[in-house]
Amino acid sequence: MTEYSSTEATPDSESPSDGAEPDRVVVDDLTRTYGGVPVLDSVSLAFGSGLTAVIGPNGSGKSTLLGALAGTVPPITGEIRRPNAEDGSGKSIGYLPQQVPFREGFTARETLAFYARLVDGDPDAALASVGLSDAADKAVEDLSGGMQRLLGIAQAMLGDPPLVVLDEPASGLDPGMRERAFRTAATHATDDVTVVVSTHNLDLVDAHADRVVMLARGRVVAAGDLDALRNEYSVDTTAALYEAAGRDAALSETADDGDPARSGAAAEDEQNMSGDDGDRDVHVTGVSEQ
Amino acid sequence: MTGDLGVTDAFAGAGTVFRRELATVLRTPGYGVLGVGLLAVLWLLVAVGGGGATGFVPAVVDLLLPAELLVPLLAVVLGYRALLADAVSGEFAVIRTYPVGVAGYVVGVLLARLVALVAVIGLPFAVIGGYVWLTAAPDTGIFATHAGVDSPLLYVRFLALITLFGTVFLALSMWVSAAATSRRGAAALAVLAFLVGTLGGDLALIQSLMVGADPSAVAGRAALTPNGAFRGLVFETVIGVSFAQEGNVVDVGRAVGSLAGWTLFGSLASVGTLAFRERLSTVIERSRFRFAE
Repeated sequence: MTEYSSTEATPDSESPSDGAEPDRVVVDDLTRTYGGVPVLDSVSLAFGSGLTAVIGPNGSGKSTLLGALAGTVPPITGEIRRPNAEDGSGKSIGYLPQQVPFREGFTARETLAFYARLVDGDPDAALASVGLSDAADKAVEDLSGGMQRLLGIAQAMLGDPPLVVLDEPASGLDPGMRERAFRTAATHATDDVTVVVSTHNLDLVDAHADRVVMLARGRVVAAGDLDALRNEYSVDTTAALYEAAGRDAALSETADDGDPARSGAAAEDEQNMSGDDGDRDVHVTGVSEQ
Repeated sequence: MTGDLGVTDAFAGAGTVFRRELATVLRTPGYGVLGVGLLAVLWLLVAVGGGGATGFVPAVVDLLLPAELLVPLLAVVLGYRALLADAVSGEFAVIRTYPVGVAGYVVGVLLARLVALVAVIGLPFAVIGGYVWLTAAPDTGIFATHAGVDSPLLYVRFLALITLFGTVFLALSMWVSAAATSRRGAAALAVLAFLVGTLGGDLALIQSLMVGADPSAVAGRAALTPNGAFRGLVFETVIGVSFAQEGNVVDVGRAVGSLAGWTLFGSLASVGTLAFRERLSTVIERSRFRFAE
């Protein structure tokens, strides 16, 4: 995946290290505001197949970017090009929002059966794919938070869409569940599928992501192949990359202290990011606090 | 996202949405309580009016005015959160990533809620009809073919009109649920819709007469509001049959068209609001952004 702008190379000119398609999903000059305040500001990205992790401080615009990718957040300016479903299921996007939204009173199997009927899918196979077969007859509200997220991941992957967008799939989960959620996402991220995941769990990014996008104040501060970025910043881990890229972004934005993007992003943060225990793990001075 | 579905796919997924919504309704015990409560109220009203022995038409006369308030009230209760629940939880955004058209989604929810309306409102009225059948004088078993005869057929007509009347308020309350952004907002809008729907038409008619409108036009104008159309149709096709061949309470064709029109309006407005609300807010946001530039 490649960050680009109108003055830089187009995504077609990039050659990803793993040979996957570099521009299956293209975000072109995307801006999104709330109340007139930019939360995403002229973001241009190209997502290839495989697993891409979107990281960044709270309020950096991750959820807005993922919502835009999923089609639930219309852009103010710019456009997004996505692949179409190829198997005739009619579902081209799989989406798990930050808050798992399933209706209470239905079991896990009934919940997936509703979605599966829409795409001729198999709810039991979907439950098995995330290891929830034993909880199939449990009501959604009786599932743990982790199990609800896994159910949401299974829902997103029903119908085998070419683009899967998972907003904080590991949020609030214990380490085992986090690993399970990411492993499931990574398994699904084949050469024909683009999986985009936002997260604060940088160790899981190291373990599973092919590429990474880092956002700060509604702008892309680093994007590309994970190994290439670590080499570029001379770091060994995504956590170190996060700090290094954050420092660079803070330096480059010193002149933009009056930029309203931060307050807009902060508003989104308050709306969407409350209660995320990952926040304590990834706090970059100079990006989130400046 | 399937927001790019063509017109031909607009109703895709309606059957699946219907099944899910119907399951939701069946698992909501509160609706059963509403139905039992309505049955108790209707039974008391008939009992106070002389009991089931008085016949079908007298029972209809006893129930007409309460029905004008109770049917809209329960229909609004059934519909005012029908579309809001998925919007507030965020599940509508997920559903829209599937091949489900907005029209199909609304139709699926509306039809399931219509089944609930028949069960919660129609069934208690039908039970009262059965009670009258069992206790009324012998001649009420005769099917009316001419004026002056009480008949179960007249009560069946009343039941059909009750259902149509309820459907109007169900569709309008669905629009409320599509327009609201919170449960409190939906409740406030539902109360407003109920008051305007049940009282607004009559008050407007009285006001027009007070300012000198032609009284002969009342029959036509009364048909334009849901309550006026329902009341007029009950008089023309149920109560009036027993007393006179020709009534002049309301224009029957216009009243039927009015009820059908209000139902269609509520349904289309629900679809339009759900489909364009996000686009409208985006347009406003876009204007604000360009103005700030």
